[in-house]
Amino acid sequence: MATGSRPAKRDEVVDVLIIGAGPSGSVAAKHLAQAGMSVVTLEQGHMPDRNDFPGRKPEWELVTQKQWHPNPNFRDRPRDYPINTDESDVHPLMFAGVGGSATIYAGHWTPFLPSDFRVRSLDGVADDWPFSYEELLPDLETVEREVGVSGLPGNPAYPPKMSYPTPPLPIGKVGRKAAECLDKMGWHWWPGTNAIPSLPYNGLNACVRRGTCMSGCPEGAKSTTDITYWPHALKAGARLVTGARVREIEVDDRGLATGAIYIDEHGRERRQKAHTVIVCANGVGTPRLLLLSKSKHFPDGLANSSGLVGKRLMMHPFSAVMATFDEDLESWRGPFGQNIASFEFYETDEKRGFVRGAKWGAMPAGGPLGATSFVGTKVFTDPNAKVEDMWGPHFHDMVDRRFGHTMVWGIIGEDLPEESNEVLLDDNLVDTDGIPAPKLKYKVSDNSEKMLKFHEDRVLEAMQAGGAIETSVVHQMADTGWHLLGTCLMGDDPKKSVVNRWGQTHDVPNLFVFDGSTFPTSGGLNPTATIMSVALRQTRHMIAERRNQEAA
Amino acid sequence: MAAKIDDKGREAFAAFADLLIPAHKKMPSASSVGVAGPLLDEVLRLRPDLQEDFMRGLEAITGEKAGAAANALYKDDEAAFNAMSLVASAAYYMTPQAREALGYPGQESLTYDAHAVPDYMVDGMIERVTRRGAIYKSTPR
Repeated sequence: MATGSRPAKRDEVVDVLIIGAGPSGSVAAKHLAQAGMSVVTLEQGHMPDRNDFPGRKPEWELVTQKQWHPNPNFRDRPRDYPINTDESDVHPLMFAGVGGSATIYAGHWTPFLPSDFRVRSLDGVADDWPFSYEELLPDLETVEREVGVSGLPGNPAYPPKMSYPTPPLPIGKVGRKAAECLDKMGWHWWPGTNAIPSLPYNGLNACVRRGTCMSGCPEGAKSTTDITYWPHALKAGARLVTGARVREIEVDDRGLATGAIYIDEHGRERRQKAHTVIVCANGVGTPRLLLLSKSKHFPDGLANSSGLVGKRLMMHPFSAVMATFDEDLESWRGPFGQNIASFEFYETDEKRGFVRGAKWGAMPAGGPLGATSFVGTKVFTDPNAKVEDMWGPHFHDMVDRRFGHTMVWGIIGEDLPEESNEVLLDDNLVDTDGIPAPKLKYKVSDNSEKMLKFHEDRVLEAMQAGGAIETSVVHQMADTGWHLLGTCLMGDDPKKSVVNRWGQTHDVPNLFVFDGSTFPTSGGLNPTATIMSVALRQTRHMIAERRNQEAA
Repeated sequence: MAAKIDDKGREAFAAFADLLIPAHKKMPSASSVGVAGPLLDEVLRLRPDLQEDFMRGLEAITGEKAGAAANALYKDDEAAFNAMSLVASAAYYMTPQAREALGYPGQESLTYDAHAVPDYMVDGMIERVTRRGAIYKSTPR
């Protein structure tokens, strides 16, 4: 292993500027710094302090409905930027800070499957990736060891691969019951793989099943890159600048990137120069920044000669199914990662009337406020009910029936790319630094609608077979845009894609995109494992080709 | 800074909260666990975004009969009703009394043996899954 580089000084022209310290940017920063390159990362949020996370406090459920809500428009923290979602069926969810949106993710670790890289070949829709599952596998296995994934090897939903660094988390009574339901149907299930170690690992503590993963882990047991990557990156000499909101990537007369202009947290405009720039600002933030970076050379936005920057936004249509049982499931207990998952209906079966499929994840239902709500919205109440129907003795009876007895299934359907689903710049909305905010146009497709309905019905069948006494479906929830993918398409043809197979933009040889915006397709599962693996693949290539890299 | 709520307002909120959350079977009433006392101020401090809707609702129900006032509020000003009902239920479930009655210890820390053999490994459940074989589609050649 390389010993790393010395820390860069403020005015120095560094080897690499990374914009965004989320999962992909953190992977790049650590590995580039350890390879001896000078690295500066600009992050608009701050380093998280686990003492701020509310999971240990009695008000946990109350504040997760506002201050720790995943929707930045609703949460409205100063470091969040607003997003116009007036024309979007799904609301994007994210978090600004070191570790990125993973700070408030559930840690479901579900790498893409082989078929996800060959959707065009197998199903005749969308596009194949420029590389295969097998080509990415070495990077995935490295990332899994750095992240500290817990899980049981041998899942028949995947080809054989290296085992996980820590044993599976307890599936709890929720997982056991969910597995029994699928077992009755003869359907696939597997103990959840999670970015949450069951033993102390790489700076992480072992999970204590507190179940508050989605508002930050106060135990330091959920794998986020502020814990698992940044200590190594900083030790290797990487410099991290927080509270730094980038408003433009600059280019020289030759059309090469020279660095970025950012606003520090005191409102001062600063400039960071670099030989190479990597954008890792997620599927909304990355196209926003490229579209903001207009110049004489690039009047339609940086790296946008294809016209595809911002196009093909994929956010995953999502439905939730709640199932309540007579048995005590202790369903406030964590982890709030997936207790078990099912890939039974993941692959395409044309007889179903749609292509591609979805992953199911069984999760607990939270505390007593969670008995009436899910992820901060009262989605399981009847909108036509009267006060007396919901409150009084009925309220107690309902909470008594549901609390501790309920599981929630999350259904993540594959979102096929469409150019009409896109990220634009809003004409009026700006962030707290006056930088134009993004606007989304996004419609859930007919294929997605059919897919979600099919999967909802199958989950209901399994729950009823397992003895559920009450079930509810929330079809295509709005506040579920966790997975922001596809807006800077990766491909070999410069006329039909934004970046090449190594994340290098076709138009600007020293400008790269390493985040999920490069994904040609979305898979039907949580993408963080693949986002980090692709980032490592591109980073390794950048290191290998460092002597050949054209620079400003 | 939370708005000041006088005794009349607290009485009105206690009656409203008891209508929504009365004593029932094993569960205590909202007012008996103190949701209209200092806990009310604490909840509004924790969620300042609720204050405006809450205070508007409180003004509407103060001096009115709880049942009729609550239904009128639900019909005429749902935002105010939702703020008041959330404050009532959140405060209620933050109290040790309500949690104990419900059997909710809070989001607790648990220890376990990560190396213990799970039940599903020995009772045949996972074996039935693996016996059915691979379910993924391989990369086409």
